Amino acid sequence: MNNLSVNRDAKWHLNQPYNARHLVIAILAFILLAVTGSRMEVPRMVSETAQGLGYVVGLNEESAVATGVKRIAASIWPLRISEEIEVSRIEGFDPNKLPWLSHVEVIETRTPHLNTDTLQLEETIEHKEVLVKPLGYLMHVLLKMLETLEMALWGTLLAVVLSIPLACFAASNYAPNRFVYNLSRSTISLFRAIPELVSALFLVLAFGFGPIAGFLALGIHSAGFLGKFYAEDIENADRGPQEALQSIGAGQVKTLWYGVLPQVLPQYIAYTLYILDRNIRMATVIGIVGAGGIGLELKGRFDMFNFDHVGTILLIIFLTVIVLDQFSARLRSRLM
Amino acid sequence: MLRFENVQKRFPDGTEAIRNITLHVPQGQFCVVLGPSGAGKSTLLRMLNGLSRPTQGSVYLGNELISDQSVQQLRKKVATVHQQFNLTPRMSVALNVLSGALPQVSHWRAALCLFPAELRAKACRLLDEVGLTPEHLNRRVSELSGGQQQRVGIARAFMMDPAVLLADEPVASLDPRISRGILELLHRQSRNHNTTVLCSLHQPDLARAFGDRIIAVNQGRLVFDGTPDQLTDTVCEALYHGALNRGHDTSAALSAACEPELAVA
Ligand SMILES: Nc1ncnc2c1ncn2[C@@H]1O[C@H](COP(=O)(O)OP(=O)(O)O)[C@@H](O)[C@H]1O
Ligand SMILES: [Mg+2]
Repeated sequence: MNNLSVNRDAKWHLNQPYNARHLVIAILAFILLAVTGSRMEVPRMVSETAQGLGYVVGLNEESAVATGVKRIAASIWPLRISEEIEVSRIEGFDPNKLPWLSHVEVIETRTPHLNTDTLQLEETIEHKEVLVKPLGYLMHVLLKMLETLEMALWGTLLAVVLSIPLACFAASNYAPNRFVYNLSRSTISLFRAIPELVSALFLVLAFGFGPIAGFLALGIHSAGFLGKFYAEDIENADRGPQEALQSIGAGQVKTLWYGVLPQVLPQYIAYTLYILDRNIRMATVIGIVGAGGIGLELKGRFDMFNFDHVGTILLIIFLTVIVLDQFSARLRSRLM
Repeated sequence: MLRFENVQKRFPDGTEAIRNITLHVPQGQFCVVLGPSGAGKSTLLRMLNGLSRPTQGSVYLGNELISDQSVQQLRKKVATVHQQFNLTPRMSVALNVLSGALPQVSHWRAALCLFPAELRAKACRLLDEVGLTPEHLNRRVSELSGGQQQRVGIARAFMMDPAVLLADEPVASLDPRISRGILELLHRQSRNHNTTVLCSLHQPDLARAFGDRIIAVNQGRLVFDGTPDQLTDTVCEALYHGALNRGHDTSAALSAACEPELAVA
């Protein structure tokens, strides 16, 4: 009796993994990429990048991209660290009480102009007293960076505060009714759908330039993420402990607190740290629309072609992001 | 103390989990519900704490009908010991036991984990009674062994001085060697606190050892009701053999086997 060979005369087929359908899909995908590629000027990108690379290795004489990069690089370096202010512009200036680490310099400026009587070029020499703070601009940027970090912190706090109740109502097993459930689900989706930069534009109109618009925009957008994550964790939490508390009549709130929260807390902290991380990156650029922080400074300097200032700002942003990356990685591994 | 009257439970998918059960459990009795897996033991027990509602018939606790209005109030008199312990992982032993008294604690106290002194003292006393030591207080329950977790579960169940204790296969996920110890503890605790117990099991020998009375269910029907002595091996045989075959004649065979003892009210 051989049970294993019951299907002896069954016909076996093992086909190739591809067929005509796959070919059609591949051709369609290729056409789609060709169309959008030409709309995105991909060929021009390729040729100009190639020219730039050729210039670097000495194959071509000139390249528009390389020239642009060179010009910016030349104007970024040296970075702007110090700050100079005309003494005459400082109100109540007292030469005996200079701010820390600063000194007064006299700067000579020569302005050439045409003497209309002699028709000769002459120079007028002006002497200006300026207060030089050797680390002034760096300090200014660092303060702006601090403001940026504070914006990210308050944005994240706002997101946590908004998303906890939203998440409880948006978890199908704790929503009091269908209406509240759908309402909070759609609120969360809406929050997530509005990009920070867009809501910040409007919030700047409402609250004026400055960090308020910035952290509100960050908070609302990230509440959309946290709300979704938190709600899903509540729904997926082990039902056993919740049933145990429900069956003795502990009520919804206490069941959430004692049956769900301890289970999901590590995940919540991980999400919140991730959102904080993301908000810090986002806070550096949100100022571009006027919502405070280092982005506002960056935009102002960029528009005035002060690329040495821009260089300092970019360096500080870069360093901050690296340091925070290290820090949050360590914090996360400590908590897990 | 507990009364089921012509209770039926049909799940929305059409499963008939309980078919016309009538049962009365007097105050202070340790009643074991015996039956193979899928017999309807959990469903029967869950109707007492309102986690499941009968589709027909009524369930009384004391003299009160368990209904939508009364269930929240009645639940406070019913404690449950679960097969999977159902403790909150990552929470300390102390808070898990204290959470058994949550209905008595105000919301703000619960939110801040500030339990009144008498509840804290009670939690310590109960943990002592179930055989744990003060070092366990601040451990996370997930760090304890299965037997220790079930001891925590039993301590939690007695936090509200329940009139009724439901134990749904309290030893099914434990090592057989420690099952006896846990059941002994459950038995002793319920005697000392004068609690009526409905305890589901699937091992006949444990049922005989600890029950004041044994009822057996199979395919949602009450097929045996008697004292431990009346639960002979023949009856057990029929019960489990029937479960294995799941034939149409199961119930008939079973009724035949336990004819002398059958005492369905
Ligand atoms: N929520 C449910 N929906 C549908 N059927 C269920 C549900 N819960 C239990 N059942 C069915 O009811 C019957 C009895 O289940 P249960 O009371 O859990 O048995 P036991 O605890 O004795 O193993 C089983 O056939 C099971 O599949
Ligand atoms: Mg069960």
